Amino acid sequence: MTLRRFISTSILRAAISIVVLSASVPASAQKFFAFQKDSIPTFRGFAVSFDLVGAGLMAFSDNGQYEGALRINLHDEWFPIIEAGLGRANHNDDVTYIHYKTSAPYFRIGIDKNLLKDKHGPYRLYGGLRYAFTSYKVDIARQDFPDPIWKWNTGYGVKDAQCNYHWIEAVVGVDAKIAGPVHLGWSVRYKRRISHSEDGEFGNTWYVPGFGKFGDTRLGGTFNVIIDI
Amino acid sequence: MMKRVTYLFLGVLIAACTSIDCPVESNVATLYQVRNSDGTELTLSDTITVTTRTAKDSDTIVFNRGIGISKFTLPISYSHPEDVLVFSFDNDNNSLHVTDTVWIKKEDYPHFESVDCNASFFHNITDVRYTCNYIDSIVIKNPSVTYDSKTVHFYFYPKSSN
Repeated sequence: MTLRRFISTSILRAAISIVVLSASVPASAQKFFAFQKDSIPTFRGFAVSFDLVGAGLMAFSDNGQYEGALRINLHDEWFPIIEAGLGRANHNDDVTYIHYKTSAPYFRIGIDKNLLKDKHGPYRLYGGLRYAFTSYKVDIARQDFPDPIWKWNTGYGVKDAQCNYHWIEAVVGVDAKIAGPVHLGWSVRYKRRISHSEDGEFGNTWYVPGFGKFGDTRLGGTFNVIIDI
Repeated sequence: MMKRVTYLFLGVLIAACTSIDCPVESNVATLYQVRNSDGTELTLSDTITVTTRTAKDSDTIVFNRGIGISKFTLPISYSHPEDVLVFSFDNDNNSLHVTDTVWIKKEDYPHFESVDCNASFFHNITDVRYTCNYIDSIVIKNPSVTYDSKTVHFYFYPKSSN
């Protein structure tokens, strides 16, 4: 009961902060940030979700992630969200013979807004932003191979190279109520790296937990099973 | 609204095509600039050939009969701590045949771009030694050897009497 009261107080404070913030911006922006005026309470509960795309990639390819999220529903309009997952890659390239391995957790925090006019209906169209972070280690290895000129046998690889990666994501998603507390939804994400560091001078990393393959595409997606709690 | 969502989904499908981003210039080599003692670029009038000894104990040519050159590129070994290069200098009428040996010490570190790109090494040159039959001196200008093919790594000063 105390915990519930604490959460309610925190949410109320967050809501007040948003309202105070909205007071310092122009009228059009205020309208965007303000809650619709109706009899529905501000705090509408929590929802947990699980991403099936990442889990499918994990099951059927050599890289992917298990990812879950906890979302707060504020008046069916604003949805502060925390996402956490475990990203993993274990790839052997058939052409270059390079083996790449990493496994690490990642975290995202952000907020979505329901862009539909009918805020309290069974469907939602989200637009949102995320800040994401991961700290991970990579192993890169290749079997010894001869130097093309000198013919000496050459070893290649890095072991347990410590890296970290920060990025932001712009999110567009949809969500539909299926039955009772169960929703299904998908999201498309545009990802942009904001900073990174790699231990040593070995160059770039290929797969970043939560971000995916770097340089491949900046787009990603999720397909979520969502349960209201 | 559904029409917009459909267009968005199609846009995502088109944009989601994958690509391989390996560097266009993936050759890692050292660049020498021939210089006068006053620091100006010099064009060698003699023919230069560079050889090295491989792990199989045979000589191989790494630079063949360069004539009238002011810059030349030589390979660098992937992971050997010291490369030994033999420079041979000849002229057209065969009145000159001089050789010098150059020892290049370096630190090697693996460089990784992507699993799609071949394994490569970058280097940090730590020392250069040489005999002085034709060569007056070789100076390290830039010790870092990477994909950058424009950076001069060594200033090569031949003796002024040549």
